[in-house]
Amino acid sequence: MAGGGGGGRAVRWEGAAYLRMRLSLAALSGRAVRITGIRSQELNPGLQDYEASFIRLMDKITNGSRIEINETGTTLYYQPGLLHGGRIEHDCHPQRSIGYYLEALLYLAPFMKRPLKATLRGITNDQMDPSVDTLKMTALPLMKRFGIDGEGLELKVVRRGMAPGGGGEVMFSCPVRRFLKPIQLTDPGKIKRIRGIAYSVRVSPQIANRIVDSARSILNKFLPDIYIYTDHMKGAYSGKSPGFGLSLVAETINGTFLSAELVSNPQGQGSPVLPEDLGKNCAKLLLEEVYRGGCVDSINQSLALLCMALGQQDVSKIQIGSLSPYTIEFLRHLKSYFQIIFKIEAQPMEERKGGDKVLMTCIGVGFSNISKTVT
Amino acid sequence: MEEGQKKAHRKRHSGPKAVRKKQRRLKELGIEDEVDPQKRNPKAFTVQSAVRMAKTFHRAQDLKTKKHHIPVVDRTPLEPPPFVVVVMGPPKVGKSTLIRCLIRNFTKQKLSGIRGPVTIITGKKRRISIIECGNDMNSMIDLAKVADLVLMLTDASFGFEMETFEFLNICQVHGFPKIMGVLTHLDTFKNSKQLRKTKKRLKHRFWTEVYQGAKLFYLSGMVHGEYQKQEIHNLGRFISVMKFRPLVWQMAHPYVLADRMEDLTNPEDIRKNQKCDRKVSLYGYLRGTYLKSNSQIHIPGVGDFTLREVGFLPDPCPLPEQQKKRSLHEKEKLIYAPMSGVGGIVYDKDAVYIDLGGSHTHNDEEEEQRPNYELVQSLIATHSTIDTKMASSKVSLFMDSKPLASEELEENGYLMPKEEKVIDSETGRVRRRAVFEEEEMAESEEDKSDTESEAEIGNQDQIDCEREIDPRPIKVMKLEEKEAEAAVERPVFADADDFEIDSEAEVTVDGYDDEEDDLACESEETFMYSSDKILEVSAMKNDVERTLNSKQKVEKLSLNLVNSASDESENDLDSTVEQTEEGSEIMENKMLSRDCSDSEECNEDYEEKIRSDAETIGALKWKEGLAQRAADVFLKQQSVLNLQKLVYGAVSENEEEDEEGDDTLGGIFHVNRPNTASKRKNSSLDSSVFHVKNPHNWDLEEVMNSIQDCFVTGKWESEKDASTLLGEDDSVYGAFEDLETGEVHTGQPGELKQNHEGEEDNEGNVDSRNTEEELERTKRLEKKRKLKEMFDVDYDNGEGTYFHDLKDEMQKQAQLNRAEFDDQDNETRVQYEGFRPGMYIRVEIENVPYEFVTNFDSSYPLILGGLGNSEGNIGYLQMRLKKHRWHKKILKTRDPLIFSLGWRRFQTIPMYYIEDHNGRHRLLKYTPEHMHCSATIWGPITPQGSGFLAVPSVAGTSKDFRIAATGVVLDLDKSVTIVKKLKLVGFPFKIYKNTAFIKGMFNSALEVAKFENASLRTVSGLRGQLKKALRTPEGAFRASFEDKLLMSDIVFLRTWYPVLVPKLYNPVTSLLRPSGERETWTGMRTFGQLKHDLGIRMKPNKDSLYRPIERKMKHFNPLHIPKALQRALPFKSKPKNQEKLAKETRDKKPVAVIKSAHEKKISALLSALSTVNAYKIQKQHKKEHQQHKEFLAQKRKQEEAKIKRQKEARKKIHRMLGQKEKRKMKSSLKGQTEA
Repeated sequence: MAGGGGGGRAVRWEGAAYLRMRLSLAALSGRAVRITGIRSQELNPGLQDYEASFIRLMDKITNGSRIEINETGTTLYYQPGLLHGGRIEHDCHPQRSIGYYLEALLYLAPFMKRPLKATLRGITNDQMDPSVDTLKMTALPLMKRFGIDGEGLELKVVRRGMAPGGGGEVMFSCPVRRFLKPIQLTDPGKIKRIRGIAYSVRVSPQIANRIVDSARSILNKFLPDIYIYTDHMKGAYSGKSPGFGLSLVAETINGTFLSAELVSNPQGQGSPVLPEDLGKNCAKLLLEEVYRGGCVDSINQSLALLCMALGQQDVSKIQIGSLSPYTIEFLRHLKSYFQIIFKIEAQPMEERKGGDKVLMTCIGVGFSNISKTVT
Repeated sequence: MEEGQKKAHRKRHSGPKAVRKKQRRLKELGIEDEVDPQKRNPKAFTVQSAVRMAKTFHRAQDLKTKKHHIPVVDRTPLEPPPFVVVVMGPPKVGKSTLIRCLIRNFTKQKLSGIRGPVTIITGKKRRISIIECGNDMNSMIDLAKVADLVLMLTDASFGFEMETFEFLNICQVHGFPKIMGVLTHLDTFKNSKQLRKTKKRLKHRFWTEVYQGAKLFYLSGMVHGEYQKQEIHNLGRFISVMKFRPLVWQMAHPYVLADRMEDLTNPEDIRKNQKCDRKVSLYGYLRGTYLKSNSQIHIPGVGDFTLREVGFLPDPCPLPEQQKKRSLHEKEKLIYAPMSGVGGIVYDKDAVYIDLGGSHTHNDEEEEQRPNYELVQSLIATHSTIDTKMASSKVSLFMDSKPLASEELEENGYLMPKEEKVIDSETGRVRRRAVFEEEEMAESEEDKSDTESEAEIGNQDQIDCEREIDPRPIKVMKLEEKEAEAAVERPVFADADDFEIDSEAEVTVDGYDDEEDDLACESEETFMYSSDKILEVSAMKNDVERTLNSKQKVEKLSLNLVNSASDESENDLDSTVEQTEEGSEIMENKMLSRDCSDSEECNEDYEEKIRSDAETIGALKWKEGLAQRAADVFLKQQSVLNLQKLVYGAVSENEEEDEEGDDTLGGIFHVNRPNTASKRKNSSLDSSVFHVKNPHNWDLEEVMNSIQDCFVTGKWESEKDASTLLGEDDSVYGAFEDLETGEVHTGQPGELKQNHEGEEDNEGNVDSRNTEEELERTKRLEKKRKLKEMFDVDYDNGEGTYFHDLKDEMQKQAQLNRAEFDDQDNETRVQYEGFRPGMYIRVEIENVPYEFVTNFDSSYPLILGGLGNSEGNIGYLQMRLKKHRWHKKILKTRDPLIFSLGWRRFQTIPMYYIEDHNGRHRLLKYTPEHMHCSATIWGPITPQGSGFLAVPSVAGTSKDFRIAATGVVLDLDKSVTIVKKLKLVGFPFKIYKNTAFIKGMFNSALEVAKFENASLRTVSGLRGQLKKALRTPEGAFRASFEDKLLMSDIVFLRTWYPVLVPKLYNPVTSLLRPSGERETWTGMRTFGQLKHDLGIRMKPNKDSLYRPIERKMKHFNPLHIPKALQRALPFKSKPKNQEKLAKETRDKKPVAVIKSAHEKKISALLSALSTVNAYKIQKQHKKEHQQHKEFLAQKRKQEEAKIKRQKEARKKIHRMLGQKEKRKMKSSLKGQTEA
């Protein structure tokens, strides 16, 4: 009844999937989580190294968390503390890129006690997770829409580190807010410009230029306003492994950002990739993203929905492209943590405007940042 | 007043009207007023000082902005819940009388006993819930948190009492609801002047507490035990037009002021263990904000709970439908007070009592909406008793079964439990109907089975008017003969209350025992179906074949169920099945039913298939074609229409899967279901990247075309296209007349036309005049809109401040909030937004302590306060706190206090501290007397900015002001940073110049190392620094000081020691105590209290004790003035006599005289003579004395005689004088005539 720490109503999960989502939502909702059967049937049972690293990160940004893991690592009990923030440093495990960790920080950073200034080290760009460049160009403008803006919101790629070696460094800082603003984004608007960044480390600097040319060859058919920066980092700033890649962002007149990215295969894995192919494929991926459409791109769907759910008790609306599996799972998790259900309306396909769109509507749960100090 | 004494009209001498008048008169007179002073003397109006002007402007602007409040989104629902009016006042002030009078005023009804909130309709758009507030701290605190309006009663003959001020302070802390004062007992004043004075005095006191000009009502006297009608009417008017301010806490939290409670615990459990945890349901209007099911609530006085089930009921006290009429119809003046016995219905914790004599208005209303209205009516009209009707009635349970008559059942020899309580069943009925609306099917199925056994329970003769009928009765059962009776019967049984089921189960067992074989086939089946218990019994009693048989039957039944419920939603079915809790067979059915409900909308044929399967083959046949069906379902889900289900439907399925876990089939076989959850997790990587599965070929033209319009280079919508916009602008500005030249310019409508034509051509010739006209119309509308927009922009230009923008934004959001879910039905809305404020809801809670039910007292407020995210957790709270200025004592750190924070009341141990200038949190032993300090407690996480108050105890009443402290929460944390001062003491053992070796401060070199470079201080005030540890002795160190130390100096090291806050969180569980003892809740006692109670006295320090004062005589040495000094002194100051006294000359000394014999003789003679002489003299003296004494006595005698004589003489004279006077008086009286 008067049990401490919400232990009485712990959320129970089974399996290793969506650990990131489960822990960060637990930290936001203040509900304890018990996850059992983490890879209990597999050859390599228990939590993976990158998950352990993530749990350590969660521990760093919170105050008063209780984490219990059994010997084999197959069960995890997490009782969240209060989000503390401040200046933290974290070495991300090279199994996953920094994007994996950064995405969770994006969920949590606005609700900390002190503005978060995180230095994350590890792989900046890989093929699994959204890269820091893409997040910088898409997630940060999205957060601004919810009132998380100002000087503090910044993501800086200090060093670039490619898989598998890593060695990159990213600075992320975010101001804190007590409340989020509701949004109504129902019209994505038309794409007015495409920007991008072609990066290469520990390879010939010419590769970036080759990527740019090939990407432009595809995109120029749609829009003249294209500028792709080339970013060649040298020496100490180039990490431990060679590699190159491209991330593209299309900006619409209403300020929505759609992104696509492609990275070369990590050293020693898979066949080598031609920069021209990579450029072309990435441009095509961007076109796919444009085809999906919506006011937020596919990787940031969950962030947008979370910010909507955590808003004031007002109606928020957003139009997005088709729901990604990750988003669907995220919606289910939102329901179990916050009892919030979105109204999901499919919108008919419009001629020459890409695929099906979905209109998501919800009333915020009236979340307020309980960590922030008032004076 | 007389006519002549009326005031004469006073002319206006100032103001615009007077000025105008004056000017008019002057004009008439022809002496026009001088020119405008501003023109006449422009210098006087110029800017004298820019700084001053800036200042005035600044000030004006400041004042203007000060008036602004932060705009908030208006979230009040369209149909708000009744406002909570709390009637508060000290005892015997007339609270209940006032409530009774108000109710009478609004509804023309008289309530006998008022318990709990009374909801009445006070106007066309206004309802209120009146509740009385007792004088115990608990009720006051709870009600202050939910009140919208407080009627603060005061006995004017006595004046304000402490309770009033306490309540005001509580209100202030928890947001300030509207407060209206009411003065009663004004008839006790006999003197009208005194009355006036008292009124004024009280009014001004009230104003200082609330705000200047706060409304204070006077209730002058009583007429037949009630207040005067007119005064109550006025008060009622004020209440019904009052505007309420939104309070932050209330707007951010859902809450229910419960007006009804029911105990739903299984009676069997209670029988087994009287003190088992209970399951209760609570009813009330939802207020505040949206309530989500499964959220956490706090019941002040009981504890925290998770909502088990929430459902909304039809409003028991609805506002009138149409708003046309001027005033309320008499019928619409409803009243709802379930615990007070309105219209003869009293809801108790386990029963509802109906006084049939009473009529109640809202019953009629509700009945009208029901289909069985006429049934009930006919029933009321019938004259035969239920018993006789029961006997003659028949009911068939299934479409194709034989109708049953009660006689048949009686043959079976079932026992008929006698029921004393009249309406028991109806309670359940009402309850069930409300929440498990969807379950009715299942219930009714169940109930059918109960029918036989219960048909005999004939003495359930009461017919509730509120009883309702299943919306689909025909599908479920066929009413054979007397429709009316059957309808009557069914609801009685339709209530599958746990208790009843149990009793029935027992009954059936008996039945089996008695005559097992005689059982009619139908009844047997139905019994098996009726409840799991019965099923078990039957399984035990009957042989295997029969069980199998029954299983089949059960199968069939449940399929019927599915069929009939095909249009119901999935959840409903699930819950239905859960509710019935049948054996494993039913579990299978459950899966089945879920499946079919997944594809509910148009899957009739599929259901039929299942049915045929089941009917023909048997229990396990449903599994056939499962994959096919699943595929169908999946395909359906794939379609965009089912996105919602794709996301959320699947989840519920999974959850259930998890819940079911490992079911056993018939207790033997283990059902191993594929775990979908695990499948899902294996397939997916934890990454938000949405990989493209089937990429388009972007080299193809048509593929590229599919997104062409997503770019600015593509085609724009007509209203945004640049060329059309230009054209429109032309048409807006197109036609105008040049006034100077008289030329008329026209726009180019032709161009527009051309555009249209072009478009039409593109689309193909669908031209018709209609579409053209339509286009024209839209164009015109568009044009108008544009013009209006332009006008608005022009008009609002001056007003376009940040504040206005913000306000507009908020308004827009509010409109959107209202509009978004407005068109949906309640069930769907509830899903998205949660339960809206204004709904009448029913809430089920489990694991409630049994004391709550056994000690339930409806006169205490019962509040369900919703908790936000993580508000159910516990942590450290930092708060700004101030001792209340009226509280007698200052507060001591570590003394437990009872806090009221958020919804909660709890006891905890606060630690007071103050923040030093360097940000250090220094512990205080006591709160400062007139200053804020900070406090840290271990308590429930409550959002920052929430106000709180603290009382030392809630028990009993005391003369003193009970509120000890108030404050606000500043910060929440999981750790504390309070420190207290620690002085380490050391002694020097070796001193060099400025260096000293100190020992005794630490025990080891490690400790010293921790304090290296720390600053030191000595008693004498020397400052120094700790340098380095010494090897020996252990813990000694070298330190340097600013000067040389003395060996007697003591060296201090001032440091800070972190303090732990004790983790005590002890909720005040006042509602769990018997009603008489609620005010006596005591938690942890303070140290002082404990010692006082146990009679323990602290042993004082011996040195601190007082001892008798012994004062010794002081010896002063003689003053010695040196000779030299004496000599130097002036004569005046010189010591004078001492020397003389000191020096006695020789001749002054007495000399011994030796007499000769002669001399001796002479002296002997002389002494003898003198002795004789002395004796003579003495004798003489004695004699004289004697004589004198006699003389005196004689004289006294004479004196006395003289006085006596004189006295008598005086007496005589006075007598004479008196007589003379009398005579004189008499004569003077007569004298007038005489003289």
